[in-house]
Amino acid sequence: MDEHLERYAELVVRVGANVQPGQEVFLFPAVEHRDLARALTRQAYRAGASYVNVIYRDGHTRKAMIELGPDGALTYAPEWQKVLATSTGGNALIATTGDPEPELLADLDGERVGRAVQQELVQIQMKLMGEGAVNWCGIGAPSEGWAQQVFGEPDVERLWEKIAFCMRLDEPDPVAAWQEHLARLAERTERMNTLGADALQYRAPGTDLMVGLNPNVHWASGAGDTSTGIRYVANMPTEEVFTSPDARRTEGTIRATQPFPLFGQIVRGLELTFEGGRAVRVDAETGAELVRSHFATIENADRLGEVALVTGESRVGQTGLLFYDVLYDENSTCHIAYGTGLPFLLDAEPDDAFNMANMHVDFMVGGPELEVDAVLADGAEVPLIRNEEWQLA
Amino acid sequence: MTEDQRLERYAELAVRVGANVQPGQQVFVHPMVEHAELGRALVRQAYEAGAEYVHVVYRDDHNRHAMIGLGPDSALTYSPEWAKELMLSEAGNASIGTTGRPEPELLADLDGERVGRAIQLELAEISQQQHRDNSVNWCGVGAPNAGWAQQVFGEPDVERLWEKVAFCMRLDEPDPVEAWREHMARLDARAATLTELAPDGLHYRGPGSDLTVGLLPSARWGSARFRTSGGIDYVANMPTEEIFTTPDSRRAEGTIRSSLPLVLNGQIIRGLELTFEDGRIVGVEAETGGDLVRSQLATIENADRLGELALVTNESRVGQSETLFFDTLFDENATCHIAYGMGLPYAFDGEPDGGSNVCKIHVDFMVGGPDLEVDAVLADGAEVPLIRNETWQLS
Repeated sequence: MDEHLERYAELVVRVGANVQPGQEVFLFPAVEHRDLARALTRQAYRAGASYVNVIYRDGHTRKAMIELGPDGALTYAPEWQKVLATSTGGNALIATTGDPEPELLADLDGERVGRAVQQELVQIQMKLMGEGAVNWCGIGAPSEGWAQQVFGEPDVERLWEKIAFCMRLDEPDPVAAWQEHLARLAERTERMNTLGADALQYRAPGTDLMVGLNPNVHWASGAGDTSTGIRYVANMPTEEVFTSPDARRTEGTIRATQPFPLFGQIVRGLELTFEGGRAVRVDAETGAELVRSHFATIENADRLGEVALVTGESRVGQTGLLFYDVLYDENSTCHIAYGTGLPFLLDAEPDDAFNMANMHVDFMVGGPELEVDAVLADGAEVPLIRNEEWQLA
Repeated sequence: MTEDQRLERYAELAVRVGANVQPGQQVFVHPMVEHAELGRALVRQAYEAGAEYVHVVYRDDHNRHAMIGLGPDSALTYSPEWAKELMLSEAGNASIGTTGRPEPELLADLDGERVGRAIQLELAEISQQQHRDNSVNWCGVGAPNAGWAQQVFGEPDVERLWEKVAFCMRLDEPDPVEAWREHMARLDARAATLTELAPDGLHYRGPGSDLTVGLLPSARWGSARFRTSGGIDYVANMPTEEIFTTPDSRRAEGTIRSSLPLVLNGQIIRGLELTFEDGRIVGVEAETGGDLVRSQLATIENADRLGELALVTNESRVGQSETLFFDTLFDENATCHIAYGMGLPYAFDGEPDGGSNVCKIHVDFMVGGPDLEVDAVLADGAEVPLIRNETWQLS
């Protein structure tokens, strides 16, 4: 188990964030992720970090803030956290996901939960991301609570096995396996960029959505480079090819195919209808109030920021599991995000087609029944995905 | 009372009586990751008390172990900008720290010299200034956990530790807040008697100990009940059983032997014996942890001078619990203690006297026990017994 943990942390530090000697490293784990956080700290120092800053977060203290704190607390961004966010520029950052209690905030007022966003911090993060200033990586951190949510029992060892599979730690040489995997995704990305599609068309039960694409934004996958040329993998696992769409041109309805955790609540049965690029209707079995609160209180949260294509080769998808964790679930199947576009995808200054918002929420829309077509400039439709299989040669 | 109720009542006491959080204040809570349960209760109680915002900054000895064991030399004393900004933000606000290390000897396998040098120098300076300004209503409390219980009892019996801690905190009283008010009044009265006596020095005698320490005329004796410059009364340590003063750091002569092991920066110092000449420590002996203490004295300016003398007698609930807690907050309140390093500005009504030690650390160690005799030495050289057989002698 310990060796497991160190190998995992080493892969994340060396391939994911790709920590460089002399860099500072910033870790943002939940308190329940401390075993992994400690391993990451050790591995970061072994990789030559000058200092490792570990800033634990805690869902329970957040709950107390939303439930018992004054209105002003909901959106407050303390000075020291702004300094902290700014300090990540030029340095490495590793964040962990895997909520030990994904429904911790289910009993709170969804409107308050939705409003509780430290928008000033998000702006700093988005700016740094746009500048390519941070080599960062998001990864999952197994915990009993997370295992309970996935399996109905706190079988952490089983969760570790699934994660090791998704992370290619079962391969004799995981680093080489990752290089091959990233190369495969890069080929597919290149194909999308040369295709030059003007829009994507989604069709499935309950879904008929057209999303315009932005010629100033490219498709990307897996690995990225900072402005100083540090190659990093922002998500591990990652199975997607993605872009930020033209936020003005979204029309129709899309139905989420999986429940997903959001701010301590679980959104089930989400269905969004778009007109003129904006979400005009929100339906959901649970969590609707939270999503509506996002759209009502956070500027441009009601426009799309990302479309991502994932197919049946995905190791996450192959596990057949619902992880109740966006990092994992979004890499099991096609997804879409409302909220901000990803600034590192821009090839020009952001225009009105590129959505800017102080949040980004991914939700899963893929499955065997989803058909995705590329719509070319002349109106011709080219099949991209059928039955979770990639169609473009 | 259920365990959950006890946790909330405990946190409420720390928030209302300890830090005395005022409506509209921000609160800074600094638990270890293993203290999350109490950390969360403190946050709830702080919001209930009207806090405007509660910052929770967890600390983790394992990451510190990695930093000292694997990090570069420069990491040892580094103060990140965000951490400085964080600490500066505490001025005018409330702060609560938790003690009770789950692994008191976690750093025992590291080079004591590096462990001793590892202090965030710039943060320590900000902290010193805030103590001098008395700008923060702060409180330290213990946070029971399995590791701590293991260290104390040889088994991870957290419930037993909770019972001890609850007793020391007077949570067994029908009205703990009132019990604390009475308790602090008793300590303040004892301190006032000693301040009135105005001794010029203290004389410690015991097995292996014969130490004389000079006192400062401008320094009072006091309890751990302080008042911020903004007028907020607070109790800085819970439990607290001591009356203390800040000595003349230029006048300490002789030898003092520690009577209890001391958990310090993740190592345990056993059998500490310090020899003083002209106020400075010139000899350090210890069975374990000697390198760590010597490193502090060698690398941190004025760490080799005294910063505090504190008297604790057998009325102490911590002492009555007959438990070695391996935690300074508790053990220093079981019996008489002394600290090397920073003099406490709280002993002065105005600016601290020039004889008060200026230093970036403050390390308490226990010297009391049935065999320790403490006398006040008056200006004319007469000696007045203060403590015999752990009993207060001054009427």
